[in-house]
Amino acid sequence: MGNGGNGHDDGPQIHGEGRGSQRHENESRARDENVLRARLEKLTDALAAQHREERETALDSQERETSSGAPGNVLSLAFRVMSEFVAAVLVGTALGWGIDRLAGTSPTFLIVFLLLGAAAGFWNVYRIGTEKLGAERK
Amino acid sequence: MAEENPMDPIHQFAIKPIVSLHPFGIDATFTNASLFMVVVVLGIAGLMIFGTRSRALVPGRLQSAAEMAYEFVKSTFDMAGVHGGTRFFPFVFSLFLFVLFSNVIGLIPYTFTVTSQIAVTGALALLVIGIVVVYGFVHNGAGFLRLFVPSGVPVALLPFIVPIEIISFLSRPVSLSVRLFANMLAGHITLKVMGGFVVSLLGAGFFAILAPLPFVMAIVLTAFELLVAVLQAYVFAILTCVYLNDAIHPGH
Repeated sequence: MGNGGNGHDDGPQIHGEGRGSQRHENESRARDENVLRARLEKLTDALAAQHREERETALDSQERETSSGAPGNVLSLAFRVMSEFVAAVLVGTALGWGIDRLAGTSPTFLIVFLLLGAAAGFWNVYRIGTEKLGAERK
Repeated sequence: MAEENPMDPIHQFAIKPIVSLHPFGIDATFTNASLFMVVVVLGIAGLMIFGTRSRALVPGRLQSAAEMAYEFVKSTFDMAGVHGGTRFFPFVFSLFLFVLFSNVIGLIPYTFTVTSQIAVTGALALLVIGIVVVYGFVHNGAGFLRLFVPSGVPVALLPFIVPIEIISFLSRPVSLSVRLFANMLAGHITLKVMGGFVVSLLGAGFFAILAPLPFVMAIVLTAFELLVAVLQAYVFAILTCVYLNDAIHPGH
């Protein structure tokens, strides 16, 4: 920004060219300074851009590692969904069977808890889904 | 059957006693599984002790590995958002390293995969859930039971929701242990079957020209198993973090 203002100041000096050696020297020094400053600014900008880029790629790769982007993570997610669902159904069934055995009411609780287990399985899967969404929104 | 025995894919999971021990009538026989658990623990201890010995500013290979392991688990731990649960970090770190080392050491031929035994993964999962339950009740008192009563649910639905939540909670150790155990078991059986194919094709006269196919498959599967081994350790650690988070902050 400051550079732009300086460039503007330069305008009248260029018009007064050829007035004297002193003037000429001053002007050329100012121009040199301006050129140097412009180069410095350009370099700073380039450095900042590079830094930003580096940080972005680092963030990107970190995100790719942690979010569901990588094939390995998709695989583990699929396996997780499956095992959570199956485990809930199994636990529900086992609970129902156990209660039936203790209370002698076979097969009432087995059926009830089988259904509850299936519902818990869906609930587990739903929770994994919302958890993933939440992580992505973060 | 007897001549097929060397190619039996289940054979590798057999527990063989090394030193028979029966103190106080308890069967504490030192088996090949115990041996490899010791190997795993020694491996972890070796990595950490020798890796952190020099404490160089520019880390060597071993120190780099130790630091990477620490930073990886630390970032996972922070990402899972276990707020106010830093005291559990050593537990999660040890758990992750134990599972990781068991899985990876088990991939070396002629070794025994500790995590392919459901007794081991089940014990680990029960340890996690036990800590969740005990710490949950100690930290929150009866408030821990809010875990089973989600907020914002109409009272009329509670008789259905509460059993579902309880089953869902009880299914956690099951899924945690079965997932790790099944992944390791299935992976090693697949590898063994592929290797068996190579051997039987080589002995099948003309069809020996097909032998490279399962051989290539076995190589690809070995790489894949390495991925699964690391991934399952990661999944085990991150789910432990999620469950611990429930113990610290019940009522989601």
